[in-house]
Amino acid sequence: MFQRKKECIAMLLAGGQGSRLYVLTQDTAKPAVPFGGKYRIIDFPLSNCINSGIDTVGVLTQYQPLELNDYIGNGQPWDLNRNWGGAHVLPPYTQSKTESWYKGTANAIYQNIAFVDRYNPEYVAVLGGDHIYKMDYGKMLRFHKEKGAECTIAVMPVSMEEATRMGIMSTDENGAITDFEEKPKKPKSNLASMGIYIFTWSVLRQYLISDEADPNSENDFGKNIIPNFLKDGRPMYAYSFEGYWKDVGTLDSLWDANMDLLDPKDPINMRDPSFRIYARNYSAPATRLGTGAKVTNSFVAEGCTIRGSVEHSVLYTGCQIEEGAVVTGAVIMPNTRICKGANVSYCIVGEQCVVEAGAKIGEHPENYLDGDWGIAVVGHQRTIAAGSVIKPKEIV
Amino acid sequence: MKMTGIIFSEMYIDALNSLTQDRNMAAIPFGGRYRLVDFVLSNMVNSGILNVGVLVKQHYHSLMDHLSNSQEWDLNRKIGGLQLLPPFATEDANTGSSRGKLDELRNALDYLETIASTPYVLLADAYVLCNIDYRAALEDHVASGCDITMLATREVEDSRINFASVMKADANHRVTTYALACPAKSGDYASMGHMIISRELLINVIRDYTSRGIYDFLRDFIQHEFNRGRLTINLHEVDSTVLRIRNVEEYFQSSLAILDDDVAAALFRGDRPIHTRVTDEVPAYYGLDCQVERSIIADGCFIDGSVENCVLSRGVKIGKDAKVKNCVIMQGSVVGEGACLENVIVDKWVTVSGGAQLRGLDSNPVVIRKGVTV
Repeated sequence: MFQRKKECIAMLLAGGQGSRLYVLTQDTAKPAVPFGGKYRIIDFPLSNCINSGIDTVGVLTQYQPLELNDYIGNGQPWDLNRNWGGAHVLPPYTQSKTESWYKGTANAIYQNIAFVDRYNPEYVAVLGGDHIYKMDYGKMLRFHKEKGAECTIAVMPVSMEEATRMGIMSTDENGAITDFEEKPKKPKSNLASMGIYIFTWSVLRQYLISDEADPNSENDFGKNIIPNFLKDGRPMYAYSFEGYWKDVGTLDSLWDANMDLLDPKDPINMRDPSFRIYARNYSAPATRLGTGAKVTNSFVAEGCTIRGSVEHSVLYTGCQIEEGAVVTGAVIMPNTRICKGANVSYCIVGEQCVVEAGAKIGEHPENYLDGDWGIAVVGHQRTIAAGSVIKPKEIV
Repeated sequence: MKMTGIIFSEMYIDALNSLTQDRNMAAIPFGGRYRLVDFVLSNMVNSGILNVGVLVKQHYHSLMDHLSNSQEWDLNRKIGGLQLLPPFATEDANTGSSRGKLDELRNALDYLETIASTPYVLLADAYVLCNIDYRAALEDHVASGCDITMLATREVEDSRINFASVMKADANHRVTTYALACPAKSGDYASMGHMIISRELLINVIRDYTSRGIYDFLRDFIQHEFNRGRLTINLHEVDSTVLRIRNVEEYFQSSLAILDDDVAAALFRGDRPIHTRVTDEVPAYYGLDCQVERSIIADGCFIDGSVENCVLSRGVKIGKDAKVKNCVIMQGSVVGEGACLENVIVDKWVTVSGGAQLRGLDSNPVVIRKGVTV
């Protein structure tokens, strides 16, 4: 009997809680956090997959998966509804002998060995679900094959200061990885792991099994699997990525990445029609601007109604900005209403909020002299009462 | 749902000039991200109709492309769903322009035979934009016991343009006079190109009339039989906003009419969304010096100039210092730097060169054909 075979499938780690996003991930997993007007973070790796020719993606969920499950559905928005392959949400499950929760990133893949085996792939891409970037994994796969690697890790040069917070690789002149350190105090190199791996499946499969058998292991790729590969002298290569890549794991970086969309140079390259980012669409009419509306240097999704003033901001699907409201340097998530005369600046306001008349959120850094400045953040489904003030750096 | 929907995609093609040059009426872009067919099709879906046949005849590639597998309307069903009904290329087929609705309906005969589970058929023209629940109309039809129920609006002033049919009705909403292709007087009921009829009667009429070479459904069947007292017509009055698009001027005015809050609220309701095909454009970008007021802006637009009282479809670019006022600009068109447009309909993929000046009248807008450079 012939067994059908996929060359490469992807496993997308989407179980992260994203605790540093505080109120934004209170009831939803980090990859489901809205981004850039009409997207969610997970749209980026999912779209990268389909744009790279990978049509089979296992999405490993754990923390607050309801919204994510619903969002991914049958994978159709990403063209991942396939008769054989496609998008599959893989939550932890109980088995006859073992407990169920995913203990670590490696354990999450270990528990789904049967899923991977169904496609009998030569290679498996293991991807994180917390970054904004466009990347052709197909190029990385070619690199992996050319080098005869068993593991390829995508890397990016970072500043030495950032390097102390990341997984850092040292390589030889051929790009072979000679050393790997998680969050080194004194980094030996500035090549940081992007959390994007391609493995030769038959090899990874063995390592996952032996890692699971090790009672001292934390069952984590960065802490256990990669060091074990290195220790055994397995051929491991660093694949240099040049382009936009941003961690949106903190409130500040999430705000920053949104503001990058306003850069006329379009660093994320969002407008490239040959490499689109896909998203689940809701049937909202086109955005309406009323008489007296003023919108400049902003990124606005569909379904909004704008009668106030919006400057240097990102408005997500279905926002309403009423007359006299002033929105500056703000990220306003889907279906939020900014009522008359409210002043919303340098902040993130979550989904389905109501900012009542005359409320004030955040402040321009130059106007704020009363203490430490930072963006203000309002969680999802909050009502900010009329006339109330949310100060910079405040999280509600 | 006991009703099947049949959509006529070709009406008023001649009066719409270049807008229907490369597409049929149902595929004309509208409201920034829609095509005309989206309204009637979404209404059907939102009313629980699961079987929809779309009658097509000429240059319907654009419509096919738009409807695709109809999954955006949730009509990619195993049971029921959407079906395109093109003509058969048989010996007696009419390959020229339509001779009448029965000529087109003949192509739906087989389809009508297969949907025996739905005893009623809603025949609907795509040139009418509204957001209504057809369930109420069906209940009204069944309760009336009439042969046909016509959906109609009550006109409050004398009209200039002809309606397909104009009716007077008694207090019970039974039609008392039925006239074709004429303007309406204040107080008359004007048809919306929507009617409900039993499947059985429809099949019989199609068979009987077309076999005798008679194709005009409204004149030769409805009016003829009604005038002889052999057909009863119930009138279902629709009192919400209804826009009809029968010529270029009406297209232009209806397009700009949705800039009005009340009209928009009537057409785009959260509880009954108008569905359309997704194109995965990025959100619109508003530049540093742009000025946009009282306009509808779709995804993918890139605006550096000034936009007032306009409808911009997806991916439209307005260059620096360009001024567009009272314009309808369709997908992918580019207005160059410093260009100035007023009362212009710009079809898809048009390039308006920098500095160009184009002015139409609000009663007679300039129309720029698809794909040209001006």
